[in-house]
Amino acid sequence: MKSRTKRLVALFATLAMTASLLAGCGGGSEPTTSDTPATTDDVAADDAATDDAATTDDAATDDAAGDTASAGDTTSTPRNETLYFAGQQWGTINDWNPFSTNSNNPMCIQQKDSSRTLIYETLFMFNMLDGELYPLLGTEWSWDDEAMTSMTVKMNPDAHWSDGSALTANDVAYTWEANVKYESSLGMDFPNYVESITAVDDATVAIKCKLDDAGNPTNPLKVQQLLQQMYVMQKAYLETVEGRNNSDKEAMKLDKMEDLVASGPYMPFFDDDQKIVFIRDENYWGQAASMWGKLPAPKYIAHVIYADNNAGQVALEAGDVDVCQQFTTDVQKLWEEKNLPITTYIDEPPYGQCATMPSCWMNVEKPGLDQVAVRKAIAMATDYDQIIASAMSNQSPTFTDVPRSTMNPTDGEQAMYDHDAVKDLQFAGNDIEGAKALLDEAGIVDSDGDGIREYNGTPLSFKAECPKGWTDWMASLEIVAASAKEIGIDIQTYFPDQNTFYDDITTGNFEICMNSPSGSSITNPWGRCMQFLSSQYADLEVNWSGNWSQYRNDEADEILAKIPLETDEATLKEYYTRLNEIYLTDVPNFALMYRPELFYIVNESVWTGYPMKDDGSNIPPTDCTDGYGIAALYNLTLVE
Amino acid sequence: MKNTLRQVFHSPKFVLGFIIFAGLLLTTIFYPLIVTADPLEMVGNGNFFKPGTYVSVKDAVEGTRYTLNIDAKASSIGSKISAEDKEAMKEWLTKFGGVAEADINLEDVEGLIGLWEANYSADAEQKGLTASKKKYYVRLNNNIDGILSDNDVIIARENPETGELEQSASIGSKEYVNTKDVANRRTFILGTDNFGRDVLTELVDATKTSLRVGLIAGMIATLIGLFLGLISGYVGGVVDDLIMFITNMFTVIPSFVLLILISYSVGQNARGVNLVGIIIGITSWTWTTRSVRSQVISLRNRDHVNLSKLSGHSMMRIVLTDILPYLASYVVMAFILQISSGILAEAQLSMLGLGPSSSTTATLGLMMNWATLYAAPLNGSWWAYFPVVVTIALIAFSLNLMNTGLDQVFNPQLRD
Repeated sequence: MKSRTKRLVALFATLAMTASLLAGCGGGSEPTTSDTPATTDDVAADDAATDDAATTDDAATDDAAGDTASAGDTTSTPRNETLYFAGQQWGTINDWNPFSTNSNNPMCIQQKDSSRTLIYETLFMFNMLDGELYPLLGTEWSWDDEAMTSMTVKMNPDAHWSDGSALTANDVAYTWEANVKYESSLGMDFPNYVESITAVDDATVAIKCKLDDAGNPTNPLKVQQLLQQMYVMQKAYLETVEGRNNSDKEAMKLDKMEDLVASGPYMPFFDDDQKIVFIRDENYWGQAASMWGKLPAPKYIAHVIYADNNAGQVALEAGDVDVCQQFTTDVQKLWEEKNLPITTYIDEPPYGQCATMPSCWMNVEKPGLDQVAVRKAIAMATDYDQIIASAMSNQSPTFTDVPRSTMNPTDGEQAMYDHDAVKDLQFAGNDIEGAKALLDEAGIVDSDGDGIREYNGTPLSFKAECPKGWTDWMASLEIVAASAKEIGIDIQTYFPDQNTFYDDITTGNFEICMNSPSGSSITNPWGRCMQFLSSQYADLEVNWSGNWSQYRNDEADEILAKIPLETDEATLKEYYTRLNEIYLTDVPNFALMYRPELFYIVNESVWTGYPMKDDGSNIPPTDCTDGYGIAALYNLTLVE
Repeated sequence: MKNTLRQVFHSPKFVLGFIIFAGLLLTTIFYPLIVTADPLEMVGNGNFFKPGTYVSVKDAVEGTRYTLNIDAKASSIGSKISAEDKEAMKEWLTKFGGVAEADINLEDVEGLIGLWEANYSADAEQKGLTASKKKYYVRLNNNIDGILSDNDVIIARENPETGELEQSASIGSKEYVNTKDVANRRTFILGTDNFGRDVLTELVDATKTSLRVGLIAGMIATLIGLFLGLISGYVGGVVDDLIMFITNMFTVIPSFVLLILISYSVGQNARGVNLVGIIIGITSWTWTTRSVRSQVISLRNRDHVNLSKLSGHSMMRIVLTDILPYLASYVVMAFILQISSGILAEAQLSMLGLGPSSSTTATLGLMMNWATLYAAPLNGSWWAYFPVVVTIALIAFSLNLMNTGLDQVFNPQLRD
């Protein structure tokens, strides 16, 4: 009897196991939608739903977000008025404060080369496709003199705040002062280049550059960068915030700013640990003819917070996500094999507009890695084709197509140095014999026969790190390690959590790490050369800026100081060529792949009209949110 | 002994489990003798190549060709244009190509392609068409371009001196190669993984590693458990209290948490296969200790033990000759279960990225980990994870089957 029961139980267990296995496999080939938010087509026409949602807004602002979240349907917005994102926001929002260093609010706050201007706006928008600044709050800017010591910016007189009051030059000046006074990260960096920002009249801003001893501006490029990077905030609102925080530096950075006043096309609508929604400001100033002439197409911008990339991908395939900023393995299979209405900027490899090059940085202060031969040998041995084909799933041009340099793979930057001059310094990769010969020549050999070479008696054994969960980077480092093993250098991969990783690299507490230099910017390629070679960053106590290798080269520093003041193109080309010679000779770091700044995969089951390569729109594929890419929001239409 | 063995091998459960386990073990021993390739070699230049035989295109083009009277054209049209494609072509032609719906006959593929080639233009204004759909038509167009023509495919070489292309061969639609003639080919029975490694070769190597981890972990856990259990049970008193205190403490802390903490603190550099086995071993001995102790307590007051005591035998001898043999069957079964749980623990650790490093070893957990990271289940690349799951299941299943079989033989209560 007993054994019969046992058998029955065993049979049942086997059946259950088989069933769950089958269910698991089923999920693989045909994504289920059960774990993604229900589509809301049904309520689309239902005005009541929108009204309900509107009340959530009021409630959400007074700290009752948690309660309303459980109220269920109030958080859903009509599908055909909402543009859904994935891959930008992970975890819950901390605050809406651009001064904060810990907002975890990337959909709202991204002050970078192509700033995200959904809620806060900058003076100008950067377009990575042509490297130009496009007007936003400012209409035009110009240097006042040849020497570039001061600049005048004209403001758009139509601009106004979400509370209706006019946006003037005084707001710009006050924002700058507040940034400096409260030491935001922007306010720590830019005072090295900007002396003052003042309002001449309501529509005119005067920017004075910081001058060096010789009377030259320290860096006019950085001044231009400020135009696209600094969010303009309302003076009156800033004074309110100062008032409630007694102008205390730390308290200002910690203020939640949930009652924010901004100038952008969207305002916060709802957020919790599941989802973030912005709602269109129907009174947005940009509908004036001097700016866009209309409102952006989607009424809501929503970002569901997914557990991981796989969850985001399932939602994308199900049509619950419109714009997906995620690395996706074999992305072409989505349309080639699964026939989904999904596409990317380009239909063929590399599928996107690559703008940066995640690099392998070797800490030159560590014994062993201070030797050029060791660094170069690792770079020569690495199998780049394998990294690009497998780790990056072919979403990068190869180094045969675009030879390695300090320039990103856009045509503009590629033209800025002499390819032939550095041709002999290039390394093709996967050159195991060449790398071995280089090490042997340098006298770095394996003397104790354990398969690992020694330098000064210490085995060459290094730890290579990148954050856990950044799959393409993790796989790249595995391939670097596998190649290094073949030339007798032991590299162990180490994948700590993101915070530990950044602690390690900003304090120089690492041996080898992977990180990206900046992508497209008005300051590049100069800014990127700084990140690769400048000792200015190596001297920083806590270094978030660049040159994590802590490499020092006087000649490079000298050239880097001259470039921002130089306007002659031939001379610039000469400078950049020399910098590339240094970069490829001393190899303080080497690029492992090219990569888009943002991945851009769009599902056209609800919205269409996304920018595509060669569609003549000149709108960059920056996910409809960043820099001039936000122009895409005005071109979207519903699929017929 | 001989009798016991015979009894054991009469248990169908044990025999089935044993056959599966032995099969796996033998595969890990003999497969590497046949396939000598490095299991970690990244052969495929890309992610997840599907299972099959890959032959060198260059060899195929240059090799011996046979003419077969099989029309390749019809079947290649069929494989290149699906029913949906035909519907889509019809839709485009009526909407943007200015072709009347009545003129299109979906049954007549060649006619449809003719209409398509005459009317399709990627530059036509396609109002209301999404970008993905436009791109689909461009791909479809490229796919069927020239499909109807019977022209040969020309193979040309570049003349190194002039740089001009010179025709070296032409291939007609009835020419075939025998795949046996192609010298350069490679069969991936289970395709490749995200790094382009041969999954089957890697899987065999990983199974070997996992079995090693399991054996080391099982051995250590069983030895510690047996030793402490015997002492605690036989000696009793303060020693018993002390050992049980420690054991209970370890029982209360979930062993997997302990495992994670120890693995993390050891650091990746030191985490080789053996060390991972040892770490798993020293965190999973507690329940062996407890059950051995309770069995020893019931044994130590038996008559034959008391007789030995009266005869003045040493404690060592009593434990080894009078107690251990009675426990042997139980210990073997515990050992088998420890191996099984050790293998599972390694897989779990590697899934978390706390196992051995993936550039130096293949383990079942690491294979699962990378397949998940590269979204193999979402891609439909079943070969990258399903065989691994099956292998893990088979190992655990066979060991448990052997255990149940032994249980039936040794436990009189369960005998039929």
